[in-house]
Amino acid sequence: MHFAYPPRKSSNPPPYLRASKLPGLSLRRSRMKVIALAGLAFVTLLYILTRPSIRHGTYTPHKPSGNPPAVIVTLMEDGKYSKSYLDMIKENRIQYAQKHGYQTFFPQVGEYELKGAPTSWTKVVAVRHALTKYPDAKFFWFLEQNSFIMNPLLKIEDHVMKSSRLEELMIKDHPVVPPDSIIKTFSHLRGQDVDFVLTQDKEGLSAGSFVIRNGDWAKFFLETWFDPLYRSYNFQKAEAHALEHIVQWHPTILARLALVDQRIINSYSKDAKGQAWQPGDIVVRFSDCSASSIGACEAESQRFNSQWRTSFKNV
Amino acid sequence: MSLSRSPSPVPGGGWSSPGLNINTSGRSSPSKAHAESSGTSVMWESARQKRAGDSGYPSFSTQDKGFFTRHIRRLSSSLPRFSSGQNYAEKEKLGRGQWSGPRIPLLGRLRGIVARMGRVMKIRLLVVLLIFLSILLFYTTPLVHYWRRTTWLGGGQKFVIILAANVGGGVTEWKGAREWAIERDSVRNKKKYVARWGYELEIVDMSTKKRYAHEWRESWEKVDFIRTSLRKYPKAEWIWWLDLNTFIMEPTYSLQDHIFNHLDKHVYRDINEYNPLNITHPLTDGYLDDDSRSPVGDGNVNSVNLILPQDCSGFNLGSFFIRRSAWTDRLLDIWWDPVAYEQKHMEWEHKEQDALEQMYTSLPWIRKHTAFLPQRMINSFPTGACSENGNDTRIHYNQDDRDFLVNMAGCEWGRDCWGEMYNFRELSYYLNRNPWERFKEDLITPIWFKITGEKVKL
Repeated sequence: MHFAYPPRKSSNPPPYLRASKLPGLSLRRSRMKVIALAGLAFVTLLYILTRPSIRHGTYTPHKPSGNPPAVIVTLMEDGKYSKSYLDMIKENRIQYAQKHGYQTFFPQVGEYELKGAPTSWTKVVAVRHALTKYPDAKFFWFLEQNSFIMNPLLKIEDHVMKSSRLEELMIKDHPVVPPDSIIKTFSHLRGQDVDFVLTQDKEGLSAGSFVIRNGDWAKFFLETWFDPLYRSYNFQKAEAHALEHIVQWHPTILARLALVDQRIINSYSKDAKGQAWQPGDIVVRFSDCSASSIGACEAESQRFNSQWRTSFKNV
Repeated sequence: MSLSRSPSPVPGGGWSSPGLNINTSGRSSPSKAHAESSGTSVMWESARQKRAGDSGYPSFSTQDKGFFTRHIRRLSSSLPRFSSGQNYAEKEKLGRGQWSGPRIPLLGRLRGIVARMGRVMKIRLLVVLLIFLSILLFYTTPLVHYWRRTTWLGGGQKFVIILAANVGGGVTEWKGAREWAIERDSVRNKKKYVARWGYELEIVDMSTKKRYAHEWRESWEKVDFIRTSLRKYPKAEWIWWLDLNTFIMEPTYSLQDHIFNHLDKHVYRDINEYNPLNITHPLTDGYLDDDSRSPVGDGNVNSVNLILPQDCSGFNLGSFFIRRSAWTDRLLDIWWDPVAYEQKHMEWEHKEQDALEQMYTSLPWIRKHTAFLPQRMINSFPTGACSENGNDTRIHYNQDDRDFLVNMAGCEWGRDCWGEMYNFRELSYYLNRNPWERFKEDLITPIWFKITGEKVKL
């Protein structure tokens, strides 16, 4: 049977299909589609961004909280000196530390295994030990035994290690080992990048008093300085010459070092070897006394004994 | 007789018309004389066939044999057709074109299929097609290369491969044909690998120069080249140092998949796991902090800055990774030190390698950030190297495990560098054949060999 024409539509139109045009339902449908698509796009994006491509966390070294703000490290050499003298030295440090909330650390010479190296190397490992003992201290001030802190008002973190202060203090473009080393201190160094502050006297770098900022660099520096190959090398002045060697040969160390004027942290009692102490200077070191006769250091200390006591009392 | 269609000429002569083939004489088996008697010069195809095979059997099948032969047309025409029934005008056409169906060209048929499809289906198919095309486009164009390079997608730019070429060239010896061939193969191997994964390749010239010769630091150029590369590729995070006599056997392994995505699982920081140098580990000195005295440093894989393999006699610097960090700057800085060199250069046969061992032994800060990889992950040896104690599964290449890289270490001392390089190159190609090559060489060739007894190269 053939139809010439398609069958007619019914003259009665079907009742209006309201259900399909329900705004809520249709909207929900289209919305669901959009949501599904957006979700898919989101998941794709998430996948792209979080694939296990090389996503390294960065290494964050331990950040010292500043408790205590600073530690004073003084290496004690028993036996050669009278007990009263050594007690006085300790008392001097402890009083200063108490005023500013610092800690003191008095390691003994002979406490560490040096494998036959001269005992003056002990200071390096002693400071390294202090870093271990006080992981949250910000600064470590190594001050040699034969010296007094004379000015209790000056705080290490303000007097020396504050960035702006350091930028004023540091001696730029200056031969590291006087008088004519071709290696000179950096001329563009920001205060915050300085991790190691020390001074020069007339003979060269003076390792009798230095400040070091706690951190990975400090460990690197001290351990490198303490390298057994340097200890076994017979540097004429042991660790002092090893220090001069590494700051001249290794720019990663030089780039963290600031030389400051000697009187900032390292005044001498006599001006034969370097700048002499003047009232107001933070420290006086009885320079070269240990090399001369026994008791020379104690005799030298008598000149300053009453001075530091009075200045501490007045605060 | 009625013809269903008009006769058409065929090349062989005569009329190829189904109707005309029918024997009109009424005889079911035409006699031999029939063709002659007809007296026409036209030789019918069927007749020719019949004459050729004069064997007594009917050489052709008659038309009406069997039920299906007779009824196929009626059966098939009565089968339901899946055509749109709404369009009546079209139904007429379809009915007529029933038998010409297969003769429509492919394009036309496709067009028909498309026309019959619904709109939604079309869109769906289009989407599928688009996805397929984009995947194809992605993998056949340089797009994949750029994807893999980009730091936040594939991360390829985070890796720089430094290849030490031209070792000792210029001063110690003239390079012969073999040396050139080794160099060419090695460089090509790395270039291919780098192009595949989007890494950077830095080929450095290790020829002996006066700059180093007068400072006695011939082997420490490594340090300078690593430093230069870190400066040259600011996005680089890991540097992979490779000696010239190395061959990447598995170019399909990416460094990310092979090592770095799960670095913590692959590396070991406690050297006691494999300690050919018998280094005392961990350090026990009382003045050191806990991390320095721990056998695994701080235990966090992010603090690893140097990744080394160890061969039978200690550290091996033929293939190692070093990461951009302040630590690395320090290491590169103190690696060469005149005081250490002066005391040790007679003992340090392997120069910078021994210097590193020395530093690892004596400096806690180095130890804390150094990790080791099992040798065979990045630095398998051929049997000729480290051969004193026979084959060691920790050291020597095994093709069944598909080791990543072969380092023909020490082949210049009395072994055949080019021979080893050639063998490993061919082995690598063999192991990484594509499925088609495998099909040809593993299936077809042996079958062919069994059948004909001759080996063929397809």
